[in-house]
Amino acid sequence: MSVLFMIIQVVVLAVLAPLVAGVIKNTKGKMQSRRGPGYFQVYFDLRKYFKKDNVISPTVSWIFLAAPYIYFATALGAAALAPTLLFDRGLHYDSIFVLIYMLALGRFFLALASLDAGSTFGGMGGSREMFINVLVEPVMMLTLFTVAMRANSTVMSQMAGAAAASGISLSAILAAIAFLILTVAETGRIPLDNPDTHLELTMVHEGMVLEYCGRSVGLIFWGSAIKQLVTILLMVNFFLPWNPVGSLPPVVWMILKVLVIAVVLAGIETSTNKMRLFRLPGLLIATGCLSLLAIIAM
Amino acid sequence: MTENIYLVMLLLFSAGIILPILTSGSPKITNILAHGLAVLGCLAIVACSVEVFMTGGVTFTYAMGLPVGSLIIRIDNLSAFFLLALGVVGTAASIYALGYSREYYKQRLGLMAALYNCFILSMALVLTVSQVAYFLIAWELMTVVSFFLVNHEYEKTANTRAAYKYILMTTLGTVFITTAFLILTMTVHSLDFQMFKGASLTSTMRNIVFFCALLGFGTKAGVIPLHIWLPEAHPAAPSHVSALMSGIMIKTAIYGMCRFFLEFLGVGPAWWGEVVLFLAIISSVLGVLYALMQNDLKRLLAYSSVENIGIILLGIGAGMVFMSNNQPVLAGLAFAAGLFHLFNHAVFKSLLFLGAGSVLYSTHTKNIEDLGGLIKKMPYTAVFFLTGAAAISALPTLNGFVSEWLTYQSLFYLPQAVTGILPRLGSVLLIALLGLTGALAANCFVKAFGVTFLAKPRSKHAEQAKEVPATMLTGMGLLSLMCFALGVWPQGMLKLLQGVLSQFAGLEVSTLFNHQWYAAAFNIPQANGVIAMPVVVGMLVLGLIAAVLVYNFNGKPKNVEGETWTCGIIPNARMEYTATGFAQPVRRAYKAFLRTKDTVTADKSLNPYHGVKMKMTVGISYLIDVWLYRPVKKGILFLVNRVKPLQSGNLQHYIGYVLLVTVVILILGVRW
Repeated sequence: MSVLFMIIQVVVLAVLAPLVAGVIKNTKGKMQSRRGPGYFQVYFDLRKYFKKDNVISPTVSWIFLAAPYIYFATALGAAALAPTLLFDRGLHYDSIFVLIYMLALGRFFLALASLDAGSTFGGMGGSREMFINVLVEPVMMLTLFTVAMRANSTVMSQMAGAAAASGISLSAILAAIAFLILTVAETGRIPLDNPDTHLELTMVHEGMVLEYCGRSVGLIFWGSAIKQLVTILLMVNFFLPWNPVGSLPPVVWMILKVLVIAVVLAGIETSTNKMRLFRLPGLLIATGCLSLLAIIAM
Repeated sequence: MTENIYLVMLLLFSAGIILPILTSGSPKITNILAHGLAVLGCLAIVACSVEVFMTGGVTFTYAMGLPVGSLIIRIDNLSAFFLLALGVVGTAASIYALGYSREYYKQRLGLMAALYNCFILSMALVLTVSQVAYFLIAWELMTVVSFFLVNHEYEKTANTRAAYKYILMTTLGTVFITTAFLILTMTVHSLDFQMFKGASLTSTMRNIVFFCALLGFGTKAGVIPLHIWLPEAHPAAPSHVSALMSGIMIKTAIYGMCRFFLEFLGVGPAWWGEVVLFLAIISSVLGVLYALMQNDLKRLLAYSSVENIGIILLGIGAGMVFMSNNQPVLAGLAFAAGLFHLFNHAVFKSLLFLGAGSVLYSTHTKNIEDLGGLIKKMPYTAVFFLTGAAAISALPTLNGFVSEWLTYQSLFYLPQAVTGILPRLGSVLLIALLGLTGALAANCFVKAFGVTFLAKPRSKHAEQAKEVPATMLTGMGLLSLMCFALGVWPQGMLKLLQGVLSQFAGLEVSTLFNHQWYAAAFNIPQANGVIAMPVVVGMLVLGLIAAVLVYNFNGKPKNVEGETWTCGIIPNARMEYTATGFAQPVRRAYKAFLRTKDTVTADKSLNPYHGVKMKMTVGISYLIDVWLYRPVKKGILFLVNRVKPLQSGNLQHYIGYVLLVTVVILILGVRW
């Protein structure tokens, strides 16, 4: 039974992920005094991509062709693991480490694919993506650790439960700020990366997938949207687990909070500039210090 | 039964040592005979270990007629576990050697093959001999034989230097190991390992034994700061020997540590474990950071071995801390994590070394900047190398992931076992640093695989590469299968580890890893979780099916070929991202640790304003060398220069010295 629920969760998250991406784009547009693309624009884009044929460089190998599938599969896997507290899994296999390394699998293959076409931009994007990951990963571990320590478990459903049971504290607020920065990093947004740029000097994720077109790019963009939604869900269920008292069911609160985070992400992206790549270590060390403070304050 | 298999194994390897020397006339026969016997011998090792796991440990004694006592062979579950790793990796490496040795047909093949057999035999002896004197003999045999193997291509000066550095460092290590054994032997008045259990030592003596064992075995394991021989010796040896050295030989040191820390010394104070953890985390972070900076494929792998020894010791160190805090279940979990990672590292690191050997075999270069595009010329080697690279980066659903998960899991409970805010923060940081290690390892192996195998060939060598012979592919294929098998279904290995660890007091593993066939639970009083790899595999397979369905939803796409866009010019290999470039962001961000020295020189002869030909050299310096070894070296040279005048070369002086020494001894003899 829990398998069925899990599949339903994956389908729902996969279907809603482009909508969340659309909300972010639209809000960003409005904040920048534009009309912004419609909420459903990402769906239209994906439909367009999946109708297209492919242009493939003769330099590439099967790695390049397989990477989008693997990336999409790991995004779906992450969606299956995401803590929503909507059903009981029975078996506690949903460890936080599985989620982290599931995403690492997708990243690994995409970074390999970036080297495969033999263009400079691809390698540059792959190199930078792996570098940012080197900075993000330890801080991510620390920040998630604050919640895991409260739950005394690394199983995500138990972590989310423990987070919901604990009240607002200084430690929780510090951890929430730290994870917000990590959400920005994981979703590849300003100030770490810019999802809207194709300028060779600044792109990271976009540079990595530059050689892709057509359906492959559709898979990658959709996968990225799912990954973004999963990260936001982690933020909501681990770091903003408190629901104001009211008669609304928790699910509604969760959806509302996801939308709030989407708006906040758009706000951050509008109000800051992209940082230089070598300023990022400073930002992430500061984030790491926040999580350490959160652990001390616990 | 076990004894018979053991004797057959000894016989096979002895034949493998003698026959290659007798058949020096025909290298082909030497090759088949020696490595065929090695394969059989390794299978006998596997059989021996399986037999012990099925029927329990055995002890047999041979009176050797030597003054050091009789030879005691004792194979318990711990020995059997290490033997299994040796047997599996040895079988694969020996099959591989059947093909790879063709490179050495004109380069003293007989000698190499004999030494190779002797090397495996000596490791088997180290893991089974249970008597101090013979253990040290086997240990030194292993060192000396591997010294000759490292020095096999002595035409290259670098190899000779590496070999001497290696023998110097490990001999130093043996001094410490011998001291540790001597203290134990003097306490219990026996050379038998079994008598050392619970030896009544004063706490000072125990601490001395602990440090001697840690330093002695740590040198062999390649723990930073004692690692300096490792990244030079491993690449210098022939590749199938490198695989065994990195895969198994450095693990024999971990075997020694397990014997000392789990059996001989028993539960120690918590700071022992903390010292181990400290060395472990330094080894893993610095090891992988240096690995990422290397452009020599085998050197990169050697540094990554330093990293993985660190990860193994994280498990062992955490286990020791738990043990001294009287948390036997968590200690069992941590030791299981360390030993599982040890087995996994043996499998995937030897796979990677064999892969690097294949690249070397068909391109004759180890410099990844000269490679590229090999995935099209050597498709199978590429798949096997990729498997190893993914496994070492701890990607699901390969074996490295399971053991790193276990390591994370045991480190996660560490803050509960230590008291005080600083140690707790320290143990929290361990997880963050292990995360850093994982991310750097992924970066490192994206670089290693991506630059070596993908895009266009960067040199003539790479262009003319051909797939390696079937025997070499078989060896790598076997290990790749192991990577998948242990990753998809780790339950079998976890059950085995349960058996291995249950024999030690201080560990409690009976409640660990019991669950259904598809999941291994670590039910600890405080919390629970399961390792259900089949579920993870299922998720990924369903995800892939979904991806294929989505991709082909609108029918099959038409694929058109179009050259990579490089702003209108024809792309060539010089436009590809280089390995140095790929590692540049990390090199720059960590320059405090790497002491980078980058220089750009421009040839201004053609154009006075900016050079037409630019040359960039990249250098890093190794902190440990600068801070530790160079001052020591300087000190030794200084002292030697002071002593040098004594060597006058004049016979009268030397007779004078003899007289002087005799007089001094006489005086001392009378006084005491």
